[in-house]
Amino acid sequence: MSLLSVSGVTKRFGGITANREISFDVAPGELVGIIGPNGSGKSTLFEVISGFYHPDAGEVRLDGHRLTGLSPDRVCRLGIARTFQKLRPFAGMSVLDNVMVGALTRTRDVRHARERAHALLQRVGLGEKVHAHARTLSTGQRKRLELARALATQPRVLLLDEVTGGVDQRSIPGLVQLVRELHADGLTLLVIEHNMRVITAVAQRIVALYLGEKIADGVPDSVTRDRRVIEAYLGQAYA
Amino acid sequence: MTAALRSMAPALALFGFAALVPLFVRDAFFLDGLILILLWGSVAAAWNVAAGYAGQVSLGHSVFFGLGAYSAALMGTKWNLSPWIAMVVGAALATVMGFVIGFLSNRLRGPYFVLATIAFSQVFLIVGSRWRGFTSGSEGIPVPFRPGLWTLGLVDKRVWVYLMLALAIGLYLIQLYLERSRRGYQLAAVREDEDAALSLGVPARRLKVAAIAVSAALTSVCGTLWAQYVGFVDPFYVFSVDLSVRFALAAVTGGLGTALGPFLGAGLITVLETYLRARFGGIGAGLVGIYLIIYGVALILIMRFAPRGLVSWLGRLARRPAVGAAS
Repeated sequence: MSLLSVSGVTKRFGGITANREISFDVAPGELVGIIGPNGSGKSTLFEVISGFYHPDAGEVRLDGHRLTGLSPDRVCRLGIARTFQKLRPFAGMSVLDNVMVGALTRTRDVRHARERAHALLQRVGLGEKVHAHARTLSTGQRKRLELARALATQPRVLLLDEVTGGVDQRSIPGLVQLVRELHADGLTLLVIEHNMRVITAVAQRIVALYLGEKIADGVPDSVTRDRRVIEAYLGQAYA
Repeated sequence: MTAALRSMAPALALFGFAALVPLFVRDAFFLDGLILILLWGSVAAAWNVAAGYAGQVSLGHSVFFGLGAYSAALMGTKWNLSPWIAMVVGAALATVMGFVIGFLSNRLRGPYFVLATIAFSQVFLIVGSRWRGFTSGSEGIPVPFRPGLWTLGLVDKRVWVYLMLALAIGLYLIQLYLERSRRGYQLAAVREDEDAALSLGVPARRLKVAAIAVSAALTSVCGTLWAQYVGFVDPFYVFSVDLSVRFALAAVTGGLGTALGPFLGAGLITVLETYLRARFGGIGAGLVGIYLIIYGVALILIMRFAPRGLVSWLGRLARRPAVGAAS
């Protein structure tokens, strides 16, 4: 039984097909990685799943409910949260207020939302920064903030776009550990990641995209040895 | 609770002061100034609901003000109805127009939205000035004076002070709600980054439209009271871009997106304008219109030294330790 199901998703921009008939399922509690070179359609796929883009064909379902055609806020309330590749904190607001916005999607009580936000910020290791302005955070801290904010909406599936992208080397292990912990707690995750070492270490399954099409889908070991994946990344000479 | 009270202390002091003034002051000029400060502060606060809290900067808000003002004038002259009824009708019309502008805000962003709102108010200016059979056109219409509270024919300016004070406090409280409530947090998120807000489940579009509609209705209520107070409505004034700019100016100089800012801004601008006009205006004073130049320079200086508004400037002053108090 799949929790998130993507079936036959096609998304075109003018003459360019960013996603061509992409299908895959994510089971409850699974951590699935999405890999692919630049321009392979990973981010487009995220935008389609989270409701920011409407696909030209195909559909996305969460636990059987059709998400395609719904607005992003509806998709979130139905249980899909996401982070952005290019981070988008509410820069003028405090770290706590940022997370409260997410929490207020699930509760009408501001005080309750504040408590939940405090707890989540502890959880992601930003307990010290609760009252700081979001714009004063480092990139690694902003990643944690986006994570906390998304978690505050109590997602059934969390979409992470480039957790380690743009983060300095020393901060990567901490972030990876955090993702692992969230997964261990039972959260279902779909993760775009450029860093192959990171993704093969955390993902149970990997979906590889190339030029808008799915070229591989399986356990990390088999996908990284897949001839087409190696070709896509390194060119035919290395395959 | 004490923290919340402390943050409201400046407002309590300001509104408390305004409440005490009529007990000691009879001077009509002074009372008139106070009434106008409370009124313009309230309109600026109503504008602030859309621009400051929801981030939808409109320079067409004179439409809503004019709808409120014309409702009072037309319903009073044509059907002899009470301005209180006109207030409700005007607010309803403004809400509908607010939905129209709100719809635009979901299509157009930033400067394009601002331009659309200006165009919107120009349409009303043309209708108000050309539809002579109904609005008396550019001649304007006097608002009939009928003594009594139900008809808002009040000679005593002290009563007007309390009326405007009630309006001002109401608008202040609405803004406080927008700072502290769930909807307030969500609006702030929409203002900061609409897509990020959407991704967190905030119904951004609906909230923006609602904020603009509420802002429009409140602006219209102010327009009705203004028309009853000054007793004359003229399309080139109530539907002008100048007037919209005036709302914006008060809110921005006072502090965009702050509850007290619009009132401080309106106070400063009204006092400055009145003083300068009295001091430098008039034929006898030499250069006609020089007060406008001084007024403009003063506004530039305010924005130079308090770019985020008087509220944040005063806040900084309050936090700065007194000279010699450093440990």
